[in-house]
Amino acid sequence: MRLSEDLSCAEVVQLVTDYVEGALSVDERRRFEEHIVICDGCGAHLDQMRTTIAVVGRVSEQQLSTEAVDELIAAFRGWQRP
Amino acid sequence: MIALKCLHACGVAPFSRLAWPLPRGGEPGAWVEADPDACASGIHACHADSLPYWLTEHLWMIELDEVEAAEHKLVARRGRLLDRVHAWDGSAMSDFAFDCVGRAEALLARDESLAGYVQDARTSARAGHAPVTGFITARVAELADGVEAYDAERAAQARWLVVRLGLDGLG
Repeated sequence: MRLSEDLSCAEVVQLVTDYVEGALSVDERRRFEEHIVICDGCGAHLDQMRTTIAVVGRVSEQQLSTEAVDELIAAFRGWQRP
Repeated sequence: MIALKCLHACGVAPFSRLAWPLPRGGEPGAWVEADPDACASGIHACHADSLPYWLTEHLWMIELDEVEAAEHKLVARRGRLLDRVHAWDGSAMSDFAFDCVGRAEALLARDESLAGYVQDARTSARAGHAPVTGFITARVAELADGVEAYDAERAAQARWLVVRLGLDGLG
């Protein structure tokens, strides 16, 4: 990955959800994957994300308690991009 | 088309984590199929000239059907593993890494500002991290001589791999 195409680890972490959902462009995906090849830390983060999705990715809204729904909504409302 | 596939140990794909069906008894592995959708899905592989970008600890020859070329990669509708490239072993990885370090050190001789990067390349090579060492060395070349030097360094790495691993005819 050339300097002009460089993705920082922080950027990769932000893109990981889009990556696993197939929402990145072809170029973004290539840059993401080239970063993963040379960065063990981001590779581990991607693995963790996949594992998390495999374990809890089937939880439906109906399975959550009212308190859990409220906590999630509050967390998403409070989330800001850096 | 015969191309190259970089996998982790036991035939595990580095991105999808698919455990590829391995060849058995001299027969190729089973075909794996997936719709080739603009790199989001499909069977991914590469020619030898793109190999430095995707190196992992195991390298395989793969047969592909219905292949499209993309930047640094091939995407196919289906593929099956043929043979592992056993020449890509710990010794080859180490030699590749230190070959890269040699070129990085040559650039350091005329530009001391690259010292930190070159030291990183040495450390990576000593740790046996061939893909990372290749990346650092390409980045050193780019810092020294511009983006074309990055591509030239990657091409040099590919040529080294073709010769050392006997990959003539695979791009």
